[in-house]
Amino acid sequence: MTTSAALESFLAELERLRGDAASSLAAASDAGAVEQARIEFVGARSGRLKAVQKLLGGIAPADKPEAGRRFNEIKAAIAELFAAAQDRTAAAAADTAGGPLDVTLPGAAVPLGHLHPITQTIRRVQEIMGRLGFESVDGPEVEDPWHNFEALAIAPEHPARDPLDNFYLAVARTAEPLLLRSQTSTVQIRVMESRRPPLRIVSLGRVYRPDTADATHYPMFHQVEGLLVEPGTTMAHLKSVLRLFASSFLGGDVRVRFRPSFFPFTEPSVEVDMEWGGRWVEMGGAGMVDPAVLKAVGYDPATVSGFAFGLGVERIAARRHGVDDIRDFYRNDVRFLRQF
Amino acid sequence: MIVSITWLADYVQLPASVDELVDRLLMSGLNHESTRAAGADTAVELEVTSNRPDCLGHIGVAREVAVLYGRPLHVPDPRPAERGPDVGTGLAVEILAADCCPCYTARVIRGLRVGPSPQWLVDRLHTVGLASVNNVVDITNYVMLECGQPLHAFDLAKIRGGTLSVRRARDGETFTAINHKTYTLDERMCVIADAAGPLALAGVMGGAESEIGGATTDILIESAQFAPLPVRAAARGLVLASASSYRFERGPDPAMVDWASRRTAALILELAGGTLDRGSLTAGRLACPAAEISLAATRVAAVLGVDVPAERQQRILTGLGFIEQPGPAGSLWRAPSWRRDVWREIDLVEEIARIEGYDHVPEDAPIEARAVELSDRELTMRRAGEALVAAGFCEAMTRSVVNSDLAAVPSPWGDAAPLVIAPPLVRGADRLRRSLLPSLLEARATNAAAGTSDAELFEIARAYIPRGAGPAIGTGPVEEPLLLAFVSGGDFFRAKGLAGAVLARLGIGAAEAAGEMRVSYRPWAGSPFVAGRAAEIVLERPGCDAARVGVVGEVARTMLGERGLEGDVAAAELRLDRLEFAAQLERPLRRPSDFPALQRDLNLVVDAAVPWSDIEAAIRASAAGLVEECRVVQVWQDADRLGAGKKSVVAALRLRSDAGTLTSDAASRAVDAMVAECGRRVGAVLRS
Repeated sequence: MTTSAALESFLAELERLRGDAASSLAAASDAGAVEQARIEFVGARSGRLKAVQKLLGGIAPADKPEAGRRFNEIKAAIAELFAAAQDRTAAAAADTAGGPLDVTLPGAAVPLGHLHPITQTIRRVQEIMGRLGFESVDGPEVEDPWHNFEALAIAPEHPARDPLDNFYLAVARTAEPLLLRSQTSTVQIRVMESRRPPLRIVSLGRVYRPDTADATHYPMFHQVEGLLVEPGTTMAHLKSVLRLFASSFLGGDVRVRFRPSFFPFTEPSVEVDMEWGGRWVEMGGAGMVDPAVLKAVGYDPATVSGFAFGLGVERIAARRHGVDDIRDFYRNDVRFLRQF
Repeated sequence: MIVSITWLADYVQLPASVDELVDRLLMSGLNHESTRAAGADTAVELEVTSNRPDCLGHIGVAREVAVLYGRPLHVPDPRPAERGPDVGTGLAVEILAADCCPCYTARVIRGLRVGPSPQWLVDRLHTVGLASVNNVVDITNYVMLECGQPLHAFDLAKIRGGTLSVRRARDGETFTAINHKTYTLDERMCVIADAAGPLALAGVMGGAESEIGGATTDILIESAQFAPLPVRAAARGLVLASASSYRFERGPDPAMVDWASRRTAALILELAGGTLDRGSLTAGRLACPAAEISLAATRVAAVLGVDVPAERQQRILTGLGFIEQPGPAGSLWRAPSWRRDVWREIDLVEEIARIEGYDHVPEDAPIEARAVELSDRELTMRRAGEALVAAGFCEAMTRSVVNSDLAAVPSPWGDAAPLVIAPPLVRGADRLRRSLLPSLLEARATNAAAGTSDAELFEIARAYIPRGAGPAIGTGPVEEPLLLAFVSGGDFFRAKGLAGAVLARLGIGAAEAAGEMRVSYRPWAGSPFVAGRAAEIVLERPGCDAARVGVVGEVARTMLGERGLEGDVAAAELRLDRLEFAAQLERPLRRPSDFPALQRDLNLVVDAAVPWSDIEAAIRASAAGLVEECRVVQVWQDADRLGAGKKSVVAALRLRSDAGTLTSDAASRAVDAMVAECGRRVGAVLRS
């Protein structure tokens, strides 16, 4: 039994040695500390491993093979721990070889691209209207008088058709004069001509009107126009949709106000104001689709009704971003574009 | 329309607060422009929509106020004493152009004294922004601003021949207006003429010759109906717009023609004296049609989504001057002469709605949910733009209409001359562009001039190509390709890489789709690129003709130098309208192989003229799908080491199998097969 007791005590000492070596090395954060630990545990003259090895002499001969095997195992395990600790501290030394950085130096530049603020505004409108069931549509910019005027109940003698108020194509390639569209309602006509109600669309894109360019006018600009044609549609639906739009676009419970106005293609016609920043801001025009327009596209005004509204994108984008000259949108200066 | 508040109060009792009044008018259709003090008076400028000429006079505005506040409207009934002889003695009026002038009337006053106006008249005109001229002219202006009917007074002594004719102007006829400028007329315009020539430009401006002056004693007062088109032709064509032309273009109340004439005569007799001839000269007939309009009891609620009580509807319409016709209560109406814009049921509904106020319209009507999706075109535009934004580009928006310099750059999309518009969009820019590239190069140059020499810009927009004699695709005479263009610093390969990224974002040209369609780059010589350093991008799809979907290249120095651009600039333009149909916007997963890959290099020597695309095709064709990636590492030529006219192409291959671990032997066999195929197809030999 005494022989076994000597072996157990030897093995316990070995285990303690391994545990101490492991925790010492784990705590060693640099090469110096690792060397300290090496001397302590495996130093050739007074290392603790050496001291434990001396205990082997007191082990009974029958237990010697077992004691020797265990001793060699632990010795190898400690050697591995040292190798790992040395690798670790060497890597750490390499990391800090250059000394501390000036962390206030600038980061490497990554070029960030930017969508035009007009595009961003259009996307926002599309997204909100999409949630309300309106599908985005586009159509040609060079139009004929039917889609730009007649189908929209703008009669030939109407001042809106005056050559000075439109960009007509100078060379007539066809029997009727063509022009750059002055509104995106043209697309609504095209969609209504090819589809039957129910219909919910937003038409969007560039439109053209001969205004002298100044801080609030540009002869080319963008419109987003909504159209809903479904049986039983009333102005209450129009107001409700615009209020939902305004609340989504501007945030919070935004109020919407209608003021009477006049457009040839809607009746009744209204100007739409939304409460923005504590005051009423004119956002665009709207109204119930004029029965003459419904008739022009082959719908029966007795069975369906609809509403339409139009928003000036530049005006909204300008207000959203504090742009006080809408010509900035078309200067294409990257110092401007990169801000959005 | 500028309104004098004290003047307005002549016709209706006003609320104490001008601000409150203005607010009510704003919410019922007369938009408020400004309010300013004018002495003891207040001037309020109102925006009157083009359908409401009745509000281009104080009485019309007063009528709105009367209805809004439920107060009576007082309109004077002028009955000037006619103490002179019969007006027709030795004087006649005739209409020779009935389409320009349905009705013309004249009154004559003799023996008056032209002089200054009384202070009240001067003040009122001053409030609304008019300077006093003399009592006679001031009165004609005053009555126009009172009732909306323009008037004109001629010096009777200056009318030669005793007959006033309303006729079309003759081409080239000249006329000197009261502003003492001489205008050359054409036959779109209408004049009032005597035997010797035009005395007035009908509905626009009087003439200097028959102007009322200090020596005038006898006058003829014109009150007439002129059609909008000739008036507009003159006002626009001669840049001679006036308060009169503004009103005639919109159509004043025909019933006011005689009223205005009597009112003017009465005021002149009162303020300038003289004797009024008996009766009036009249030519033509007043065009004053008044349709009967039926109004269904449920109509207002069906349009507004909220009802207005029947009794209230009737009160509003009656107050506005609509006349109820016999029949069930409130069901049949006749519009007053001043409201020719109202002729349908829906128009009556609008009248009721705007007076009742849109605040009554509910804003919580339920909207049924509807499914909606973005169109393929919209998705294509967005994906393509995203690729360039991710690459650090800013989106530009340049003008669709360009000057002749930019328009002169040939377009990859059609040879037909650019379409021209009138007037120009901005000074000098009157050509519809056929490509976005010239505009983007200009935008890059503008940025360079402002100190940003490396502006990386893209744009997505339409171009406009006149359809030639060839077979028409689509309908209209103008094709509008949807284009994406970009300009960038760098060389051909930078631009090609970017174009490839856009295509990849659309799922076009990706390896997994290669079986279905093929994108190839072919040498292309065309503006604005350097010949030999540009390519067209051609898309081949089963069942479709090969189509050019893009061009890419290095921009010619001649294009850069003249715009002040330095350094290398590369650009590309892609046809999104064609790519839309090939785009794979929803792609199924292709599961990455779990097995390890092997790298192999291939060093081939070929004739210098052999394009890489042929070599790559040979490599891929022979490798039974094992080529996961095939990159060019190096291309070089050296006559001594490779032989004249030869080049070395080093390709790095990553080989991998979907079916199992690729063994080194299998990889070597695949490489041997590639070398053999390259030898067969393009005469390549392995360089050891």
